Amino acid sequence: MFNRHSIVQVCHLSAWTVRLRTVAILVTYSLVWSTMPRAQAIDWAARDKEFLEKIQPILKKACLECHSGAEADAGLALSNFKSSRAVLRERQTWEKVIQRLELQDMPPKNAEPLALDERKRLVDWLKSAMNDIDCGKTPNPGSVTLRRLNRTEYRNTVRDLLGVDYPAAAAFPGDDVGYGFDNIGDVLTLPPLLMEKYLNAAEEISRKAIMAPEPGPSFESIRKPADFTAGSAGSASGAKFSFYANGKIVIEEQLPWKGTYMLEMGLTGSPAAGEYPRMEVWFEDKKVKELGVKTDSHSAPKSFVVPLDVRVAGKRTITLAFTNDVTVKAKNGKPAEDRNIEIHDLKITGQKPSEAIPESKLTASHKRLVKSKPNATGSPEKMEAEVIRAATEVLSPIASKAYRRPASSQEVKRLAELVYDGMKLGDSYEAGLQSALQAILVSPSFLFKVEEPAPQIAGQFPLLSDFELATRLSYFLWSSMPDQELLVLATKKQLRDPVVLKQQIERMVKHKNSNAMVTNFAGQWLTLRKLDQLTPNANMFSEWNEEIRDLARRETYMFFAHILREDKSILRLLDADYSFMNDKLAKFYGIPGVDGEEFRMVSTKGRKRMGLLTHASILAVTSNPTRTSPVKRGKWVLENLLGTPPPPAPAGVPELDKAELTGTLRQRMEQHRENASCAACHKLMDPIGLALENYDAIGRWRTIDYGQPIDPSGELPGGEKVSGPGDLIRNLGGKNADKFVRCLTEKLLVYGLGRGLEYYDRCAIDKIEAKISKDDYKFSSLLFEIVSSDPFQRKGVRDEL
Amino acid sequence: MSQKRLSRRTVLRGLGTAMSLPLLDAMLPLGRAAASAAPAPLRTMFFMVPNGAHMPAWTPATEGPNYTLAATMEPLAKHREYVSVFTGLTLDGARAHEDGAGDHARSGASFLTGSHPKKTKGADIKNSISVDQVAAQVVGAKTRFASLELGLEGSAQAGECDSGYSCAYSSNLAWRNESSPLAKETDPSAVFDRLFGNADNVGVGKSRAARIERRKSVLDFVQEDAKLLQKKLGIADQRKVEEYLYAVRDVENRMVNSDKLMLGEDGIPNFPRPAGVPRDWSEHCKLMLDMSAIAIRTDSTRVLTFMFANEGNNRGYPEIGAPESHHELSHHGKSEEKQAKVQKINLYHMQHFAYLLDHFANVEEAGGKLLDHCMIIYGSGISDGDRHNHDDLPIIMAGKAGGKIKKVSHWKFPNDTPLCNLYLWMLNQVGVKADSFGDSKGMLKFS
Repeated sequence: MFNRHSIVQVCHLSAWTVRLRTVAILVTYSLVWSTMPRAQAIDWAARDKEFLEKIQPILKKACLECHSGAEADAGLALSNFKSSRAVLRERQTWEKVIQRLELQDMPPKNAEPLALDERKRLVDWLKSAMNDIDCGKTPNPGSVTLRRLNRTEYRNTVRDLLGVDYPAAAAFPGDDVGYGFDNIGDVLTLPPLLMEKYLNAAEEISRKAIMAPEPGPSFESIRKPADFTAGSAGSASGAKFSFYANGKIVIEEQLPWKGTYMLEMGLTGSPAAGEYPRMEVWFEDKKVKELGVKTDSHSAPKSFVVPLDVRVAGKRTITLAFTNDVTVKAKNGKPAEDRNIEIHDLKITGQKPSEAIPESKLTASHKRLVKSKPNATGSPEKMEAEVIRAATEVLSPIASKAYRRPASSQEVKRLAELVYDGMKLGDSYEAGLQSALQAILVSPSFLFKVEEPAPQIAGQFPLLSDFELATRLSYFLWSSMPDQELLVLATKKQLRDPVVLKQQIERMVKHKNSNAMVTNFAGQWLTLRKLDQLTPNANMFSEWNEEIRDLARRETYMFFAHILREDKSILRLLDADYSFMNDKLAKFYGIPGVDGEEFRMVSTKGRKRMGLLTHASILAVTSNPTRTSPVKRGKWVLENLLGTPPPPAPAGVPELDKAELTGTLRQRMEQHRENASCAACHKLMDPIGLALENYDAIGRWRTIDYGQPIDPSGELPGGEKVSGPGDLIRNLGGKNADKFVRCLTEKLLVYGLGRGLEYYDRCAIDKIEAKISKDDYKFSSLLFEIVSSDPFQRKGVRDEL
Repeated sequence: MSQKRLSRRTVLRGLGTAMSLPLLDAMLPLGRAAASAAPAPLRTMFFMVPNGAHMPAWTPATEGPNYTLAATMEPLAKHREYVSVFTGLTLDGARAHEDGAGDHARSGASFLTGSHPKKTKGADIKNSISVDQVAAQVVGAKTRFASLELGLEGSAQAGECDSGYSCAYSSNLAWRNESSPLAKETDPSAVFDRLFGNADNVGVGKSRAARIERRKSVLDFVQEDAKLLQKKLGIADQRKVEEYLYAVRDVENRMVNSDKLMLGEDGIPNFPRPAGVPRDWSEHCKLMLDMSAIAIRTDSTRVLTFMFANEGNNRGYPEIGAPESHHELSHHGKSEEKQAKVQKINLYHMQHFAYLLDHFANVEEAGGKLLDHCMIIYGSGISDGDRHNHDDLPIIMAGKAGGKIKKVSHWKFPNDTPLCNLYLWMLNQVGVKADSFGDSKGMLKFS
């Protein structure tokens, strides 16, 4: 089954966006940052004049016939742009326009051609307008919205903070994805569902980190209201007991130990004369509490909990007294009122105080964390001071690490008080510490990577604090919190020393935590996370199974990790003549001489494999379940390797009802491209995908498809001819190397910053590109330049236009 | 007189996923519930299927009360007396309106909001409050969960989801406000734990009351933290902290309301805790529908949304002879074979929906069956997957809205009648006194 639509539709899930900012955001920001001097001085009036007089006429002639108004082709309404600032504001749109103009595939062939000099004038002006940002002065380093830890970061951070693994974090609700990554501040929301999971997680994690003595046996006594008596003041009706006059119920209970007990009741009451009924609770001969029963008798019962302080065990009495009965007779049409109380259920619960855990049974994590205990003697006041002292000693370092900055003494004091509050409720000291640890783990200072606004000094956008920088760095390379070494350097303010920073990046990349960068960055950049949802048709591709899938993914991860850790040129990602495999994967590829199940580096010289694009993982993830998709592969290369995603197809798929296309895949695609409106974008994607046709839908080498020999040759949009996959890859890593470098730089910057890129980031990217080109595009050099760049080091504003 | 109880929790764990309906009946309300003879509450639910439907097999041939169920709706035959069919309803917000491609993301975002989402990959997502959340604001305080968001597919893992639209649009139905989608739960065991507390977390010797007491103090504590932090931050960041505070308060309210859950002392119904997410799609779907049924039956919530899959979903259904991707099939290009497969998938989904209705039709409550006291919307924000049109949508309602629907029928409206007109009618039934919702142009006249 194959027809024109199944080729076309891929366009509709393509990636192309027009960034628009709401007026509201612009306004709020200009208010907040109104004191900031503008970073550049552009003569907007002159620019607008040029736009209106020289550029708009060309647009009108060449573009607006199709690209205007509500029905604009590709949803691209160029008629909406009235000023040069409007053009700059939607720079990404216009970068696409430049791209299509330079490719000479717009205006389309069947339209009025655009004269070469006019085309050049248009492109030149647009390019210079795009550069209406003065990189020489102080370009805006951009602003990152408060980032919540995503579920991977949460799990890693808990591991590094407390030494506790919490695999259940994987079951947190999925983190929304923006700009291709799941660590983007703007889209990481915090729904109540997640808060609930954080609370559960905090309870479980705190119990694993700190051992609290087993609570003693618990006591629970459920008393049936139907059995209560109060003389003539009330009686049982059904399962509940109703008080209808002032009086009392006396309940006797055998309490097995001294300590705190809880009296829990479900009550309703009916107000009268504008007042709610009141119930006094007495324990022995002491009034403990007076309750206002603020409900009416028709609503659901309300829970009341009264703590009882039991000094001596034994048979004790609890007295419940109704004290403000009143009846109001019907009068002047107002109905009669009667103030009553109903008791629906009642129980008494308690917990025997626990006994300390012997030293020998304490876990290592407990001993490491709980460094101080209160000396248990003295008056309640002395005891309180002791608990606060000990808890402060324990909690201060934990909170400081968890918040990734020194916790303030006020913060620590409040945490210590939480410990004491728990003890007043009958908890052990350790259980109190668990509660405080829970508070730390649910605190916004832990769950968010907080970066506080800072004042501008001497016309410069402010730097992040050293702790904030350490945090960005460690979540970039490790997806986890900064370790002790980074925090110490931040304390000493040495992290901005280029030599130190270089050393740290080197150290962090070698550290096993940088595996997170492989799975989180490369996994998302190369769309390998989508492999799990991939189900190649089992009848056609019986060699594909979950094991091969996992091995194929592992190959790509190990390959990326190798380039990263061995500090190779990033261009080797495209054209390395080696890869990583074990016997099973080598057999799948048809590569002999690999024995044993452990992965190792294998030369692929002369084996039809060269770099990422020939990995089974990537070839499979860009295929359909039953066949290859040259369109998907072409689009994938344009988006993820060259950073030039093709434009989307026009809105609304045109109805096609002609006979189905015939012939080989290439022939059918060529027929499809005869349609001019499809040709424009398929011309970009198809030749790339067709050059990879020698790899089937699960990435195996082949020379025949549909009984016909495969012809992988073609002409790339720039007019260069390629003869097959090897040629294509050499082209990407050669003539197109700049595009690839820029694309990877941009992806890493998005991932490292946790925000989408803006037009003003171009300055920083240009700088990074220039510097790493002088260092053979070494991976370490790219990382160092990104981390040293202004967007990574400074706090800017959200938008200036 | 005192009686001691043993926790059933430990017994219940690890029983696997065996499901059977009669167990639900053992879960009768205990204690306080028995005392009240209040009328049965009205429940509002929304079930979304992705990629549109094969309309020729969906729309009944004739209008009016005597319509005959078309092929895709056959599984509902048992519940015919509860099924209203609406033809001609439209989701204008899902249309392009100069934003180009992205019909799937838009129709997902728009399905319950009726608004036109802002085209963006990430920053500044903008939609509007969804109909279920408007209802939840009014009826939510009466139950432990103001609303429940369920589905079979989590948020997408990588990439933007549709032509420059953030994945937030195609993977969430419920929106608390214009920028806060409510994530959905996809793991049945996790739903169970949310509803009834996780055995690993409850207790460990502590009574439920004691645990709630500790939780409250932790929540009070962090609210204080958040307020202090909020003061230091810029506007965009303050919004994030505001969202945090909302979540904290919501969880707190749930604890306060927990005694309204009419369950045994140990707070767990007589229903085995599911073991996790089954591999088999059908089994997973049924378990999630079981969880939906339990949540409704225990009156844990009265507002529920359920996504059979994220909009634009690509999975194949080899078990029913449609191994190709659903999304790709839906672009059938008039191929009969592809349309037949789309219809198979539509039917498959409908069979599962019927499974849920079986639950509700078997529960007697004051004034009829539980299904009498429901408004359950089932449908898609796309009509024909090949044309990506958002008019003539496949929309049905199961239930009688507590007697407000006297007679079910196949209602046909002029094309371009806003779907939100129907939502407005529903909101009025739950007590929301609104004149408009989304792009409504007045209340839908039917019943």
